[in-house]
Amino acid sequence: MVNAIKGLFISCDVPMAQFIVNLNASMPASDKFILHMLDPTHMFVQPHVADMIRSKISEFRDQNSYEKPT
Amino acid sequence: MAGGDGDRARAPKRHKSSAPSRSIDETAELDYTDDDVRDADREVKKRDFTKLELKPDHANRPLWACADGRIFLETFSPLYKQAYDFLIAIAEPVCRPESMHEYNLTPHSLYAAVSVGLETSTIISVMSKLSKTKLPREIIDFIHASTANYGKVKLVLKKNRYFVESPFPEVLKTLLKDDIICRARISPEVENVKQRCLPNALNFPMLEEYDFRNDTVNPDLEMELKPQARPRPYQEKSLSKMFGNGRARSGIIVLPCGAGKSLVGVSAACRIKKSCLCLATNAVSVDQWAFQFKLWSTIKDEHISRFTSDNKEKFRGMAGVVVTTYNMVAFGGKRSEDSEKIIEEIRNREWGLLLMDEVGYPLVIFEVHVVPAHMFRKVISITKSHCKLGLTATLVREDERITDLNFLIGPKLYEANWLDLVKGGFIANVQCAEVWCPMTKEFFAEYLKKENSKKKQVLYAMNPNKFRACEFLIRFHEQQRGDKIIVFADNLFALTSYAMKLRKPMIYGSTSHVERTRILHQFKNSSDVNTIFLSKVGDNSIDIPEANVIIQISSHAGSRRQEAQRLGRILRAKGKHQDRMAGGKEEYNAFFYSLVSTDTQEMYYSTKRQQFLIDQGYSFKVITSLPPPEELPNLKYYTLNDQLELLAQVGVFCTCCFLLVNSLRHLNQSLSARDDMIGIEHLEEDSDGKALMKARRSAGSMSAFSGSGGMVYMEYSTGKGKAGASKKPKDPSKRHYLFKKRYQ
Repeated sequence: MVNAIKGLFISCDVPMAQFIVNLNASMPASDKFILHMLDPTHMFVQPHVADMIRSKISEFRDQNSYEKPT
Repeated sequence: MAGGDGDRARAPKRHKSSAPSRSIDETAELDYTDDDVRDADREVKKRDFTKLELKPDHANRPLWACADGRIFLETFSPLYKQAYDFLIAIAEPVCRPESMHEYNLTPHSLYAAVSVGLETSTIISVMSKLSKTKLPREIIDFIHASTANYGKVKLVLKKNRYFVESPFPEVLKTLLKDDIICRARISPEVENVKQRCLPNALNFPMLEEYDFRNDTVNPDLEMELKPQARPRPYQEKSLSKMFGNGRARSGIIVLPCGAGKSLVGVSAACRIKKSCLCLATNAVSVDQWAFQFKLWSTIKDEHISRFTSDNKEKFRGMAGVVVTTYNMVAFGGKRSEDSEKIIEEIRNREWGLLLMDEVGYPLVIFEVHVVPAHMFRKVISITKSHCKLGLTATLVREDERITDLNFLIGPKLYEANWLDLVKGGFIANVQCAEVWCPMTKEFFAEYLKKENSKKKQVLYAMNPNKFRACEFLIRFHEQQRGDKIIVFADNLFALTSYAMKLRKPMIYGSTSHVERTRILHQFKNSSDVNTIFLSKVGDNSIDIPEANVIIQISSHAGSRRQEAQRLGRILRAKGKHQDRMAGGKEEYNAFFYSLVSTDTQEMYYSTKRQQFLIDQGYSFKVITSLPPPEELPNLKYYTLNDQLELLAQVGVFCTCCFLLVNSLRHLNQSLSARDDMIGIEHLEEDSDGKALMKARRSAGSMSAFSGSGGMVYMEYSTGKGKAGASKKPKDPSKRHYLFKKRYQ
């Protein structure tokens, strides 16, 4: 019998994958969202976390980018 | 979510090229779900220039003048040269890329303009001649308001006391009504008075001119420029701004590193021909300045003296040149007897010229080392001078303290355009590149961990991909081009591990003077040593004219100044003059690489650091695929095992640090000692010998000395190098042949 899980397939570069893994690790056990780590650049996660990951990544990116004050 | 994310993580770089966009509060209220169209809409509304009236023959005119004081200059216009000379005198350059310059009219810049002899009516008429549009009313009013009061008040130094003079009694009355100025009559604080008189306060900018030809009180100093010293056109121009009407004006001259600042300084001293006090940043540049004076002028050896903690030369004669450091003069503690005498002499003398090298430097040093900011003022208040000339390469304008220079020294007299000097072949044409090194999986995983927040800097500096990029670049430039390379790393751990792994010599704070001289000598003369690793000691105090490639591994956070200083190390033009001119053999003859680990804080710092150079018109090329894949197996840290080993080393190193940090915390050590442990280097600036002794004495407690403090190994940068320097550094060529080998 095949077991089907609904989820989200993420493909990204190596550092961002690490970022998501780290994010996952920092969550309490009940909120962990990574279902399968497929390889260093692909993963399968729960379907509802897309926006959360997006916002976390954009926050992280903002920290690392400099905008010239006007 | 699929794909794209990695790419978007790099998107921030795009900001760099975009013009200064919306203000902060606007960003806050911007709804990100909205599309970009609305965003663009707002920008249009904010900068509405539709009111500007174009003149019919606008195509022939080079300027756009806007009502808010911003001026744009087209550099491709046939009138560019004239317009540039004019604008640099009246306005502050904001950004100067290749074909369009942006300037800003400020009260200070206009004050500088009138103080170099431009009249209000001339400024307005020339501007309206050059402008494509009819000059907005606001600009004309602004120019009138900023320049009206100029020249009504004079500040004069007579017999070691300052006097405020004015032919208008009512002006003097207004000034006396001011609290600060009134108080200064009793306890003289000349810089406060000057500050109060600036355009943003009482608006009676003080005229400070030194009529040195008619000064019969102070003895003359016999010195002339030697005939072989031929100032270049831009050096002449900057001097002509200073000596416009036969008198000497105080002010600042901004020239990039390697463009010959010292010749400007020496020429100024030769024109004034009075006693001159020259302030430099450290002992090495004191020696360099003394050398420059002897090189370019006919000054007699006995008239020039150096005053550093190692080298306390007595004054001789009635007039002379004294070269010393800021710290020596500003030092507040107890001095040794000889230096007390010399300082007393400096204090009592009326100096014809106060020459200040790297004027931006004291401000920055104080910011970094948390030394009281009034120290710089102290230097100026201690020394009484008729005229002050500040020289610098990097006036980073966003630093608001830089405006203090306006009343501490004087207005900016001249600022060279870097790209014009490059085109003229006076400084090297540098290719700047930012090399993106992706973090490896393991290093990035460590980087992200919360408990590693203090290790971050070490981790991104030690990124194996960065190491390999560095190794590749060194190999490429050494073998293919035969270049001389400097590698900069602020982080000491990174510096030592890179240098050891690649087997290259390195110099950092505690490298002894003897070893420094030996390494530099080999770098200059031997074809076997083509690469050296430098910590931040190399930023400005070590003179290495041979180098033409810089690779930057790690740096002091977002310091724009450091970036410019480091670039300055390779700006001195090399090779034949005609090759360097536009269309010559070599398009680029110097290279500046900044290695950046992507997705880390370093990206933020890197972009920030580049701002100053970008404003000077430099552009950074981004390189993403370095080293090329076919080279990979030949470079170090190719296998995962090697990389993991490196990571383990970083880990061990950091653990050691934290143990040490904790034990040091116990001992109540100073902050700087703790920072030292995570690989941050603090340089001991040149200060009075006694202060060094004192600092050493308070270094630890009993338990620390007995070893129970838990310290296994640590390195201090003690004053040993300096003790060595007090002896004359030996010239290797004069050494006995039996010993020659030993030191090579």
